[in-house]
Amino acid sequence: MEKWNGFCEAAKNSSWKVKLSAVVMGGGQLLYGCWQKGLVYLLVELSVLYYFITRGISDLVGFFTLGTQKADPWTGTAGDNSVVMLLMGIFAWIVIAVFLCIYVSNLKDAYAIERRVKAGEQPISFKAELAQLLDRKFYITALALPVLGVCVFHILPIVFMILIAFTNYGGSIVPPELVDWVGFQNFAQLTTLSRFAPTFFRILGWNVVWAVLSTGLNYFAGLGLALLLNKDCVRGKAFWRLFPILAYAIPGFITLLGFKFMFSYGGPINQIIRDLGGTAIGFLDLDAKWSARLIGLFVNCWISVPSIMLLATGHLSNRDMTIYESARIDGANRWHQFKSLTLPYMIFTTTPVILSQFVGNFNNFGIFYFLRGGLYMDNYFLASDTDLLINWLYNLSIDNNYYSIGAAISLVIFLITSTISLAVYVRSAAFREEDTFQ
Amino acid sequence: MKQNRKAGRVVDSVITHIVLIVVCFIFFFPCLWLILASFSKSGSIYSFRGFFPTEFSLDTFKKLFTDTTMYNYPKWFLNTLVIALGSCVLGSFLTVLTAYTMSRFDFKSRKTMMKTTMILGMFPSFMGMTAVYLLMTQFGLINRLWGLILIYSAGAPMGYLTQKGYFDTIPKAIDEAAKVDGATNFQIFRKINLPLSKPMLVYTALTSFAWPWSDFILPKLLLKEKDLYTVAVGLMSLDETEFARFAAGSVFIAVPIVVLYFSLVKNMISGMSVGAVKG
Repeated sequence: MEKWNGFCEAAKNSSWKVKLSAVVMGGGQLLYGCWQKGLVYLLVELSVLYYFITRGISDLVGFFTLGTQKADPWTGTAGDNSVVMLLMGIFAWIVIAVFLCIYVSNLKDAYAIERRVKAGEQPISFKAELAQLLDRKFYITALALPVLGVCVFHILPIVFMILIAFTNYGGSIVPPELVDWVGFQNFAQLTTLSRFAPTFFRILGWNVVWAVLSTGLNYFAGLGLALLLNKDCVRGKAFWRLFPILAYAIPGFITLLGFKFMFSYGGPINQIIRDLGGTAIGFLDLDAKWSARLIGLFVNCWISVPSIMLLATGHLSNRDMTIYESARIDGANRWHQFKSLTLPYMIFTTTPVILSQFVGNFNNFGIFYFLRGGLYMDNYFLASDTDLLINWLYNLSIDNNYYSIGAAISLVIFLITSTISLAVYVRSAAFREEDTFQ
Repeated sequence: MKQNRKAGRVVDSVITHIVLIVVCFIFFFPCLWLILASFSKSGSIYSFRGFFPTEFSLDTFKKLFTDTTMYNYPKWFLNTLVIALGSCVLGSFLTVLTAYTMSRFDFKSRKTMMKTTMILGMFPSFMGMTAVYLLMTQFGLINRLWGLILIYSAGAPMGYLTQKGYFDTIPKAIDEAAKVDGATNFQIFRKINLPLSKPMLVYTALTSFAWPWSDFILPKLLLKEKDLYTVAVGLMSLDETEFARFAAGSVFIAVPIVVLYFSLVKNMISGMSVGAVKG
């Protein structure tokens, strides 16, 4: 509201020179003698106009139609590529958004110059404004590159996939076939009758169980290890710590492939079983539901415990030890101290860590991709009983071209993880106000 | 009474050490297994006795670097090194810059940007992979190593929070003092804050090196020619009969990064925990 009032005031007070800037960008600046800046703005307007006349408008139309002309090799007509049209359509929207920002800054700038001139001052020179980019406005210079990178390689792909979730792209419908907007049909397919729904709910159930179990296990194992290493009677802490750090430093894919070999049919564990007179067990085979799941939990523990231990060590050394002293005088034994002092403190300070661990485990792609990748089971559509949603997403969209269903699953994963994160965040924010440990 | 307590302490210490030994054994044993396997004489996992090879030699390592017709390990290694170094330099630079700006400047869109990155982080990591693949074909960057460097470095600033937390702990009073003496913000960043945050820089460089060093999804998607494989993708294509080669290749790629971690562990812990406390 305040902004709107300011805008009305500016519109009323400004002279025709500023209003010229609204039509011809940079016009006001040129008339007030800031010709470099004026030329830059003018150039922006001209190039955007050029872009829209040459291809921007047709790109925007293509965004809505996703192509009308199918390729026909018989008559030799080059058809529309719906996917590229969608991508270029998004790009056109981005150009519009960026242009609007520059447009507004152009108006603001012209108005500011006019106010300076009316107050009897010189407009800020172009050189001085550039110098400001290294000083007061250093943040613009600093953030330009990172923001550009994130926009192109993160936001654009994510927006693209969100839109794909509402099309029928994938399966047999890939270019040169024409893709169409289908609304919520993909989500309906996921949750109601079709080949996707049973698989979806089975995997979702296991995924939640997995995330809770592995996060809990890793957290308490890591915390326990940190407490153990923190004990006074342990000599040579640096030496003991080397082993978890070793496990932490080894690239994850090596660990995972190594464990896969270890539990494979010809692997050492089965060799020992055979030597002892048993028959080899297919730990990771098609019918090995729970043994594969347990191995997954164990391997994930092996990989994640060291990092939690390192973090927990840092937090443990920040504790206020006087509370423990008084607790000891009051006769609390070590279990009580752990239960009512250490644990609440740790959970309080590491809530963000637990949260990111949970989200990370919920989307833990590597574990079952390496241990048991590429297995397709009868009761599942292109998945196995250890696969998480993210593995299914990979099987569907990268290996089997079910792009739109894959995109819909991505959105479901996003909804779940963001809801949980938000809930925890709100809860812990309320919790924090009590200042329990500050 | 006193003796009793002392005995209890000894028992406690013994139990603690036993548990520690078991835990360290669990962490160490798989590594030992791989290291020994890399020195085995025969390549296949079936020739092992239980966990350990029957005969030892250096042949596997020799084969790894000379027998390159099927599995060109030296080339894979070089590719990985180029990608990891490139993304390390570019990625750390962008991350530190972002973190510093977010920590020190108060501008209009700051809160929006922080929230946006938080939301973006909640999308599944390779949700956009199909789109990235399409983009890369549009830019003509399929089968190009620096296309990967570009993606890794562009993604790096998303994880700026730890680094921002570290910058938050450097008192702003120093900045103010320098400003009074006439330093510009750029000078303050380069001459004061950067030298003060060495542990954090080390942590950033290490993590942004380690990620491409061990990633397998992007290279698998974007590098289609066998000569352009990274070590991760290459090692994935080895099966049980090439187990010794896998072990040797793994040891060779794990050793540099393990040495890096060990020598920088002090920096890492302080960089990580300080940042995380305030993050």
